[in-house]
Amino acid sequence: MDSTLIFYIAAVGLMLIGIGGIVLSAHLVRVIFGVVLLEAGANLLLLLATYREGAAAPIMVNGEFPAVMADPVPQALVLTAIVIGVGILALTLALALRVQRAYGTLDIREIRQHMEQDIADTAGIDMPTSSEAPLPVYSNEEGRP
Amino acid sequence: MSKVVLLIALPLMTAFLLPVIARVSQFAGRWAGPAVLLLTSVIGILLWGELGDGTFSIELGGFRPPLGITLYVDQLALALALAITIGTLLLWPGEGEDPLRQSTLALLLAGSGSGLALSGDLFNIYVLYELVAVVSYGLVASRGTAAVYAATLRYVIISSFGAAMALAGIALVYQATGTLNLAQLAQLAPEKLNNSQGLAAFVLLLVGFGVKAELFPVNAWVPEVYATASSRVSALLAGIVSKLALVIIVRLLILVFHQPEALTLMLVLGILGVVTGELAAWRARDLNRMLAFSSIGQLGIMFIAFSIPGPAGVFAGLAVALHHMIVKPALFLLAERWQGSLQNLAGAARNSPLGAGLFILLALSLIGVPPLPGFWAKLLVLVSLAEQAQALYYLGAGVILAGAALEANYLFRVASRFYHAPNGQAAVAAPRGTDLATAGLLGAGLLASVFVMTPLATQLEGIALQAADAGRYVETVAPEVLP
Repeated sequence: MDSTLIFYIAAVGLMLIGIGGIVLSAHLVRVIFGVVLLEAGANLLLLLATYREGAAAPIMVNGEFPAVMADPVPQALVLTAIVIGVGILALTLALALRVQRAYGTLDIREIRQHMEQDIADTAGIDMPTSSEAPLPVYSNEEGRP
Repeated sequence: MSKVVLLIALPLMTAFLLPVIARVSQFAGRWAGPAVLLLTSVIGILLWGELGDGTFSIELGGFRPPLGITLYVDQLALALALAITIGTLLLWPGEGEDPLRQSTLALLLAGSGSGLALSGDLFNIYVLYELVAVVSYGLVASRGTAAVYAATLRYVIISSFGAAMALAGIALVYQATGTLNLAQLAQLAPEKLNNSQGLAAFVLLLVGFGVKAELFPVNAWVPEVYATASSRVSALLAGIVSKLALVIIVRLLILVFHQPEALTLMLVLGILGVVTGELAAWRARDLNRMLAFSSIGQLGIMFIAFSIPGPAGVFAGLAVALHHMIVKPALFLLAERWQGSLQNLAGAARNSPLGAGLFILLALSLIGVPPLPGFWAKLLVLVSLAEQAQALYYLGAGVILAGAALEANYLFRVASRFYHAPNGQAAVAAPRGTDLATAGLLGAGLLASVFVMTPLATQLEGIALQAADAGRYVETVAPEVLP
């Protein structure tokens, strides 16, 4: 099999695993890992945009160009994207820490319920519910209703 | 002409110097931000006068496109850069518990937002979009309550998902064309992107940039963030940042993606946005979330308008966008003291007759009651939709009309509470003086525009014609053809 095809499958696979993690996980840290995998897949896809097998950096050696040269632009772009991703990851983890300290949980469904409750309390209204809404998911008895 | 770079550089530079300035002098630290934004606004307005109906581009660092990064200046880009600068100045958030950090973030927002409006390079747009996103996380979270951290966290996760989608879209575009300069993309697009790969790239970019533009279905963050963040930040995000993201999508549509399916997708998502936004707003029981959902509905109308092909769609979309840019921040400012249950608003007119009157004026314009500008904007959209004479466009027009009926229902419900105090005592305080003054200024601008509607419409149509002219974009930037 063509090696480029394997890389493409890997890139799309990483993105799918990442999206799966974001959508399906209930644990906040897994969701964040999902985001990281998704970004890694997107970065790999960008690198692959002009990937050429066995290509060398486009630098003259002894007055001669290498036979096959790689396009440096996507590599510079991916470097930028990785830096942005790491910065946002740090911010996300800091926020997760604050949320965990405030609500004592990392389950995103519980966090969401605490948040909705807080918003409703501040506004002085009841929680928005409907008769078809699923039951609350608090795992511990101490959790607020 | 090259001083257009100052719109980006001055706020960014001041933002990074602000901690040092504040260490030397508290007074300077407090006023440097507004002063620089005022200066930038004046530069922008002078440029607007010089620009006339011309266009020009700037090669950053002297590298010719497509190798270098270009800034493209036409009336639309300059108007948006001015809007974010003046908007940040009017809605200056640097008054909270930590004014220094808030000021820094606000300056970063103005600088990166201007860059986003002016940039003519897809990857540069991505980077500046991320910068705007990170700044908005900081501004939202700066209120420091547990609920706001949770809301920001969910916002960051949705936004990061969108950013990764946009990056994948950029990868597809680069794979097909080997360039990210918008002008060169416009040259190559008919040949290389008019296929299913181009369509996939557009869908990915639409989802990516749609997060900030409150596009259905990636807008789940909107009600949570606007209900927990401070009203000035909500006003900035709903009023101006959402339009920046929207205009980027429109630019990409005009220049690069010409598939009819792309327009249909925007139309369908816009219709769904109006339906979900207006219905949710109708059910909302606190003012901030009502305004948040109504802003999703309004952005939906803009997506519907921009899905009309040709300059007519751009004109109609810009009219709705400009109107929303003035009305929604003013409403959020009034809601600062009035947030909370709608029940509490009973008798608010007694405490603040001016605030209640302003709210009603803005609500009437939002619904689209003639002769207020909101009516003309919606009429323009409806007429352009009808001219398309296709079933889906008629559906869009019907949904907008039904949405207006819902808007009237929930906004009048609020307005009638203002004048009905059961025991003669209002439960809420009057809006703060500064908030009321800013909202009053915006409301006065809205009223004044009624009297200059014809010249205003002519000007806006000129901007739309210029923005919809892809050939002119390519001519102005004139990218070199590389071997």
